[in-house]
Amino acid sequence: MKRRSFNATLLAGLGAPALIGLSGQARAAGKPTAIRIGFPGAGTGGRPLPTSGYPANAVFRSEIEQEFASEGIKVEWKYFVGAGPALNESFANGLLDFAFGHGDLPLLVGRSTGLKHKVLMSAGRGSDVYFVSPANSPAKTIADLKGKTLSVQKGTATQLQLYRVLAKYGFNDPEKEFRIISQIRDDQVASLSTGDIAGALLSPFGLEARGVAKRVAEIFDDPDISAPSTVWVGEAFEQQYPDIVQRVVTRLVKVAHWSTQEANRETQYQLWTRSGVNTYIDNKKSWDRVKDLRTRLNPLLDDYYVAAIKKSIDEAKKYRLIRREVSLDGWIERKYLNKALADLKLENYWPTQDASGKFTRT
Amino acid sequence: MSDTPKVNKAPFDWRGLVLPVAFIVIWYAVTALHLVNTKLIVPPGGVLTTAWAELANGSFYLGIALSLWRDLAGFTLGALAGVAVGTLIGASRLADKLIGPTFHTARQISLFAWLPLLSALVGTGDLSKIIFIAFSAFYPVVLGTLDGVRSTTKAHAEVAQVYGFTRTQLLFKLILPSASPQILSGLRLGLIYAWLATIGAEYLLVNDGQGIGNIVFKGRMAFNIELIIFGLLAIGLVGNAFNRLAELAERRLLRWRAPAR
Amino acid sequence: MSASTDDLHVFPRTVERPIAPVWHRHARDAVQQGLIAALTIVLGLILPAALFALWWTAAERHWIAEQILPPPAFVWDSIKYVLETGELLDHIKFSASRVAWSLLIGGSAGLILGFGMALSRSFKAYVFPTFDVLAQLPVLGWIPLLIIFVGIEEPLKITAVSIAVVVPVALSTLHGIANIPQSLLEVGRVYQFDAFQVIHRIVLPAAAPSLFTGLRQGVMQAWLSVIFVELLSSSEGLGFLMAYSRSLGQIDMVIVAMLAIGVVGILIELTLRLIESRLQGWRRSAF
Repeated sequence: MKRRSFNATLLAGLGAPALIGLSGQARAAGKPTAIRIGFPGAGTGGRPLPTSGYPANAVFRSEIEQEFASEGIKVEWKYFVGAGPALNESFANGLLDFAFGHGDLPLLVGRSTGLKHKVLMSAGRGSDVYFVSPANSPAKTIADLKGKTLSVQKGTATQLQLYRVLAKYGFNDPEKEFRIISQIRDDQVASLSTGDIAGALLSPFGLEARGVAKRVAEIFDDPDISAPSTVWVGEAFEQQYPDIVQRVVTRLVKVAHWSTQEANRETQYQLWTRSGVNTYIDNKKSWDRVKDLRTRLNPLLDDYYVAAIKKSIDEAKKYRLIRREVSLDGWIERKYLNKALADLKLENYWPTQDASGKFTRT
Repeated sequence: MSDTPKVNKAPFDWRGLVLPVAFIVIWYAVTALHLVNTKLIVPPGGVLTTAWAELANGSFYLGIALSLWRDLAGFTLGALAGVAVGTLIGASRLADKLIGPTFHTARQISLFAWLPLLSALVGTGDLSKIIFIAFSAFYPVVLGTLDGVRSTTKAHAEVAQVYGFTRTQLLFKLILPSASPQILSGLRLGLIYAWLATIGAEYLLVNDGQGIGNIVFKGRMAFNIELIIFGLLAIGLVGNAFNRLAELAERRLLRWRAPAR
Repeated sequence: MSASTDDLHVFPRTVERPIAPVWHRHARDAVQQGLIAALTIVLGLILPAALFALWWTAAERHWIAEQILPPPAFVWDSIKYVLETGELLDHIKFSASRVAWSLLIGGSAGLILGFGMALSRSFKAYVFPTFDVLAQLPVLGWIPLLIIFVGIEEPLKITAVSIAVVVPVALSTLHGIANIPQSLLEVGRVYQFDAFQVIHRIVLPAAAPSLFTGLRQGVMQAWLSVIFVELLSSSEGLGFLMAYSRSLGQIDMVIVAMLAIGVVGILIELTLRLIESRLQGWRRSAF
């Protein structure tokens, strides 16, 4: 009897994850009971809130909930301290339907390990990138830090960003020319304070105010350094509920449109403090330089988006972060975005960029 | 004409307090005189203030309760499985040959090495923590039970044969009671490991949940050293309390055993 | 009148079984032992084989996503790859060296503490209460504080793991020495041993089993803690390999690292057992 119960427990233990995975996908045809949307990242201390961008606005303004409230479809938001990689795992376990704002590296890694999703729109592009060092560091430029210890959350888009920044300053084999360790954002701040690391890519404003760190390099909206982030949907969900997908996309485009109105700029600065990661001043300093909000809060899947993803794939291969080929075939699904833009008469609203990032239409 | 001699209670040995008191005094002096970077080595007063604030805050108790709940849930699961498997392996040569090698080999894989795979499978929520805690308690309990069951002497077994015990009676009336000291010792060790695993899991499987580990995590995030120290104290005190309780329980449960070894 | 045993009428000779020549008997025993050994091995392999089959089927039938539980073939490829590039060996060296250093430092500290508390009652009175309380606090708890004071590099890992080693070593040393039977010490007094001889000839041999148990537990705790520290914060070592591989969605490497950890653990266990049996043999011959 003991043997049977033991074996039963063993089988049950192994079966549980399978059941969890299966149950997520077995839904009544027609309408799902809930839509599960993931953000790669969480607020300070794991707070379940997104940081910034137009998908975040959708959360703060309950846009998606409103869209589906009348049909009784719940919206579940999931936030991952483990960032992009953790989001991939959750999706692999069948616990997610959409991702809002997945960074390029984890997105590619996911696809290279066989995750099946479809790219719907871009979640945003461009950003101001800051390389900070401890306040009392003697370094004046990144070149001074050669051989020192840098920190980045590996597996996230920031890792590729760091490599690009270092390459810009002439370091083409960063893992050999520096010692790069992996830490989550909050630990990086702590290590900067104690001087255990010599540099990291972090928002500098709060750190400078507290006398913890100083800027050693800053780059603003450089299309080579910052890659766009992505909104995607799981293939299974898309096949089952294409109408829901369309409504989500259309709603997001509406939110994006709202976000690009100058009148709403201040409101957003406030909304984006809720995660605790950035203060109002941080947001103001980061975004006041953006004359036209449409250049960043941009959902288009234009030439630049495609070129940037291709470039990221090449970089990921070069730095041996992915082991299998990633092809773009059948991955980018434009029809939902195009329909949304047509329905909302916003086809020419956003600026487009060509493969090198140059604006072809403003 | 024998006088029962008065049992003298040993006077409280004050020497044990010397080290801790000296430590606190030095700590206080060093920070008050600003001999060190007070951002890093925070004054004891600061820890007390933070402790006070935390204790007044309801979520602290919620956090402790949650950590304890996970610990006990996991421990119970692991202990039950452990006693079951231990008895099986100890009592049956066949089971020992079948399960034993796998068990002993798996035991060599350092506990936390299972965590990444487990959290990939089950996520970072309560379920994965409880499974991990159960796992950590499982091994010591199996070993203790195994030891105890195996040392059931032949003499006992013969008595059971004479009385014509059935299999179940054999198990519950003979084997388990005779193995109880070793089982209890295994359970105590399991409890220690379970608490270790609880804290470790809370550090490694981070989410926005509550728990003692989370207090320390939040302290790390905010670089609030007072909070980190307070969290450590809380962890230590709870662990201590657990151990004492377990010791008491063990002594009571084993009271029926004659003092002869 | 009694008969002589040679008298066949009184004591008929029973048919005796021919006694096999000696080497026959040895061969028969050897074959028997061999069969039993083989059977034991086969029995022991049944469960692992079943689990492996379960793993294989689960991957084949996609019961669990391959990103979470990669198929055995994939893991095998990764094992080959990582052995070729020697990457695994590097990580093993890092983790192992941390354990070795911590055993040295933590072990010595533990021995000194244990000896001190056992031999000097006043030392024990001062130190033991604090030690007892601190021993209850799991090493892991210390680590966030240590990170702040000691940084995130090697010193952190070695300090943390050493702390994990000190506790079991000190406790079992204390236990072992305190439990030396008085009679042995009296013998020493009779022979008028000086302090060195007492320690060398009486205390050490008598306490050796306890010391060894402490060492064993210390090793286990060290291994446990080193993986934990490496998972939490590191840039090399087996724990780091697991965390890093996971963040790149390479769960097969996570499994490879787990297997490596298991293998190293087994090697350590076997080494300890070898040393222990040597010690036991010596002990037996001493008596």
